[in-house]
Amino acid sequence: MKIQQNSNIPIYQQIATSFQEDILSGKLKQGEFLPSIRGLAKDLRISVITTMKAYEELECQGLVTAMQGKGYYVNAQDSEMLREQHLRKMEDHLQDALVAAKIAGITPDEFIETVKLLIMDMK
Amino acid sequence: MERTFDSVAKLHNIEKSYTNFTLSLPELCIPKGFSTALIGENGAGKTTLLKILTGLNDEYSGDIEYFEGLREKHLIIDRIGYTSSTNYFNPSWKLENISEFSPYIYDSFNSDTFYKILNETDMINVKQSISQMSDGMKMKTMIAATLARKTEFLIMDEPASPLDPIMREKLCDLIRAYIRQGNGSNSVLFSTHNISDMENVTDYAIFMADGMVVEQGFVEDLKEKYYLIKGEPSHAKILKEFLIGFTESPYNCQGLCLIDDLDKLAGMDVTVETPTLNQISVGIMKGGAK
Repeated sequence: MKIQQNSNIPIYQQIATSFQEDILSGKLKQGEFLPSIRGLAKDLRISVITTMKAYEELECQGLVTAMQGKGYYVNAQDSEMLREQHLRKMEDHLQDALVAAKIAGITPDEFIETVKLLIMDMK
Repeated sequence: MERTFDSVAKLHNIEKSYTNFTLSLPELCIPKGFSTALIGENGAGKTTLLKILTGLNDEYSGDIEYFEGLREKHLIIDRIGYTSSTNYFNPSWKLENISEFSPYIYDSFNSDTFYKILNETDMINVKQSISQMSDGMKMKTMIAATLARKTEFLIMDEPASPLDPIMREKLCDLIRAYIRQGNGSNSVLFSTHNISDMENVTDYAIFMADGMVVEQGFVEDLKEKYYLIKGEPSHAKILKEFLIGFTESPYNCQGLCLIDDLDKLAGMDVTVETPTLNQISVGIMKGGAK
């Protein structure tokens, strides 16, 4: 896990994102426990409260559940939710692309053409 | 969001007066299982508070409850470790004397752990007596002797000050390992006036000024309570009104803004950043919390 100390993204967010990716990609499986809060803080050389906040963030997203006295375990990821997550990610990126297109004065038709070309390329 | 927490020490109505200084703490809780920084300028009352907590200074009024329900000194003292800002060992002693005599004072003192930590902090080959050691070496000796005991509450007065950057990093590692080891039951309270070196080992921060606590909270919560605002000098007059710890130069001005005051910035050309703990400290020490 790479943690950037001087990035604009808060450290807790960086940790949450990293675990989020591992969970959504299936690297961390259902029922598996995340590292202990104080253990991860020690290994990543960050404060306990930052790690705690990252785990709370994951809990808010419904990715993990806290079990008193045992830690946080990975929830079952239903495929519908997984799809939803990826869909949202796709929309975010498209939004960015649209902003760039607008700045560059690219017409909607040109934009759609470009997307079609990119899809062809992927095949 | 306010987090609730268990306390390793609960202070109630603590008062302590010197000729020109009064420490006054109506209510203060030190969180259990976390590392807490005591931040303030020289003379703010940090050392006085730490000495009261360790039991070294017992001429005060008020009540302290340790480890959720304990008040008897003899039950507490064995569970607390303390490093002072100045050496407290016999100056003529050498490391081997500390290793030899400490077990008589503290049942849980473990010589192997003592030498292990000395080894980790490049102190293993030190032959001179404590009086001939540098301030950094004296601090490392106190840290090793304290961590060689089984304790649950570590109180450290300016531990980072005499240490070089590499050793400060090592100190942070040792604190994190101590917290990790306790798995929620070990707590650390340290004072500092240079928080930037200790930021990544600080969970909770208590800010003191003139013998009082002026602000406190978990670092992640404080970072959501205050924003760092930077603006053009042309806005200085308005910003000065409500920014905390306001500073200005011919090119820009900056200060901390409470999240609730953010509306007042509407229409102004300013940048809004999440502050570091160091920036929060500077703001609060300059301007006092609101």
